[in-house]
Amino acid sequence: MNFEKVVFGFFVVLAATLNFGFFIGPIDDPRVHNAFELYSAVVINLIALVMKFGDRTQIGAVHLATSLVASLQLVAAGGLWAFYNNISEGAAMTPEQISSVVSLSGGALFANVISVTLLVVETVSFRRQ
Amino acid sequence: MSSPSPVRRVSAEGPSTTAIFLVLRKMRAPLIVLISLFAISILGLTIVPGQTIEGQVWRMDPFEAFYFMSYTATTIGFGEIPYPFSAAQRAWVIVTIYLSVVAWAYAIGSVLALLQDRGFREALGLQRFERQVRRMREPFLILCGFGQAGEVVARALDATDHRLVVVDREGTRIEALDLAAFRSDVPGLCGDASDPHELRRAGLDSPHCAGVIALTNDDHANLAITMATALLRPELPVVCRTLQDDLIDRIKAFGDPLIVDPFNLFGDELVVALRAPVTNRLTSWLTSDQGSPLPVQLDIPRHGRWVVAGYGRFGGHLAADLVRNGIPVTVIDSKGGTGQGLEVITGDPTSPQALDAADLDNAVAFAAATDHDITNLSLIVSATSRNPGLFTVARHNDPTNGPLFDALHIDSVLMPTRLIAHEVLARIGDPMMWLFVQNAQRRDDAWGQPLLDRLVAVCGERRPEIWTVELTDHGAPSLMDHIEAADVTVAQLLKDPQDRQRDLEAVVLMIRRGQSVVMAPDDTQVLQVGDRLLVAGRGYDRRNLDTTLCVPAAAEYVITGAQVGASWIWRTLADR
Repeated sequence: MNFEKVVFGFFVVLAATLNFGFFIGPIDDPRVHNAFELYSAVVINLIALVMKFGDRTQIGAVHLATSLVASLQLVAAGGLWAFYNNISEGAAMTPEQISSVVSLSGGALFANVISVTLLVVETVSFRRQ
Repeated sequence: MSSPSPVRRVSAEGPSTTAIFLVLRKMRAPLIVLISLFAISILGLTIVPGQTIEGQVWRMDPFEAFYFMSYTATTIGFGEIPYPFSAAQRAWVIVTIYLSVVAWAYAIGSVLALLQDRGFREALGLQRFERQVRRMREPFLILCGFGQAGEVVARALDATDHRLVVVDREGTRIEALDLAAFRSDVPGLCGDASDPHELRRAGLDSPHCAGVIALTNDDHANLAITMATALLRPELPVVCRTLQDDLIDRIKAFGDPLIVDPFNLFGDELVVALRAPVTNRLTSWLTSDQGSPLPVQLDIPRHGRWVVAGYGRFGGHLAADLVRNGIPVTVIDSKGGTGQGLEVITGDPTSPQALDAADLDNAVAFAAATDHDITNLSLIVSATSRNPGLFTVARHNDPTNGPLFDALHIDSVLMPTRLIAHEVLARIGDPMMWLFVQNAQRRDDAWGQPLLDRLVAVCGERRPEIWTVELTDHGAPSLMDHIEAADVTVAQLLKDPQDRQRDLEAVVLMIRRGQSVVMAPDDTQVLQVGDRLLVAGRGYDRRNLDTTLCVPAAAEYVITGAQVGASWIWRTLADR
């Protein structure tokens, strides 16, 4: 067992699951989309992104690309959430506002699904020499 | 499908991007630590309760916490925003401050360590080298081996406007490139040139690559370079240095590389000097550096016995060349040896007994041919003390011993590196000059003496500037009509465009016409379109000749004596 692979797989899957957890539920209902889940999704995605640095293989390059997309979308979602909550006036978030945040995270989820698929493909095609 | 490219390619990686990958790889751990510690700090800030001014319980949201962490971790420190912190918050902030200090120190420390890292710097240097080679947009030569000979070659090629790429195994020599102050930018690669990948890095695949010069100290590496070039770019000229006879046949199997073997060259030159001392003096003067004085004539004794001390590669060649020219030779070597027509004395050449046995009193020339400079010097001293009238030849390996050899006034010194450098320059740097030397060395003194006298009379006793003139639309646009219309002789061409009564201080050494060559043409020689002239002369008259070649009015005046205007209006008026 390669411990590096365990950590790598852990972060890639955790990034996807957290993202999924935030995304799931009616898109315009602020009650079912937890801010802390979004926050942890951003953090874990950033870590997953950094873990993919420096791999020169083709599959490593695609891994890095998907993670870049996911992180970008999630950071955008988090920024939007902070904007609606702190900068624009109004106490609670409107359904329109929360749905734009959630849809951004939905895009990130798609990239994360690709990332996990790559991980699975890599694992399945791995043969012990 | 694309048409087959003339450049054959071997599969290899694309341009190296090692440096950026190294940075990414080494920055993984510090970045993850940084992100994690930030995440923990922000999470804590959002959980720990605070108070508004009205005394209500208030918690930061992640955005405010990130804002607070950003200005705290970067030591900006705006204070407790938006409300003064509670004791619990302050306790957690203490923790976050120390966490962030650790994270930043680790990240910055890693970056600094990376910048110092040898592997990283090499990767950066390699990337810079590849970029430089890729951006070369004019013909360049790949010089493998930047030793003594390599440096002389590089300097002279640079001075004659050739672009170079240098490959050497020694990192210190590549570093010396930066200090060498070349006129053009010379990229250097530290690597083994016998590895085809390194050669390709140095631009072997580039369409601008004009040739490869293999001058490493290792003959087998030179063979490998020649082989790689012959297989990957068969059309490129290769110059290969070798000191071993058995390798020459193996090198010749790959196309037609130019082989530079200093020991053979020296022997050949000595034979020319034996047969035609004046011609040899002329060619060695013309192939020396510009401005050097006319060398003293080598008066090699033509009759009498030679003594060669040291029967190694050099001694062997020398003895064989002498015997072939009917000169009796005595060889002294501790290992002995056999050879046709040789008298061999087995013994240490430095011992008095061996020198006694060689009977130096009745010899005419002595050659110190061992591969050790100090031995050679002491041999020369002991030989001349026995017979001061000896003609002396010495092999000189290390340039730092130069003053010692100068002080002994040895008649002929073989310096392999210098000889190699001159030969490479003549062949690659100036093919016309090489052709001239090749042809001149077959001539006798009756041919060489008048040319030498004329050169000295016209240009003085300093080696003149030598250049090539092409009588083509490109090289001599204003002269083409005149050559086509009427016979133009060499003497007519070499006139001052200011005053055609004055002859230019220049001499045509050779005319190359297609495959044939006219050596030292006389004044009545008629020029033809397409001729290539090798001209020796003063620098200012080179510019005068250029004026004749390029300015139509000057050409008209020089050839016919008619004064025509240089401007279009004046010429149109004059034509009426």
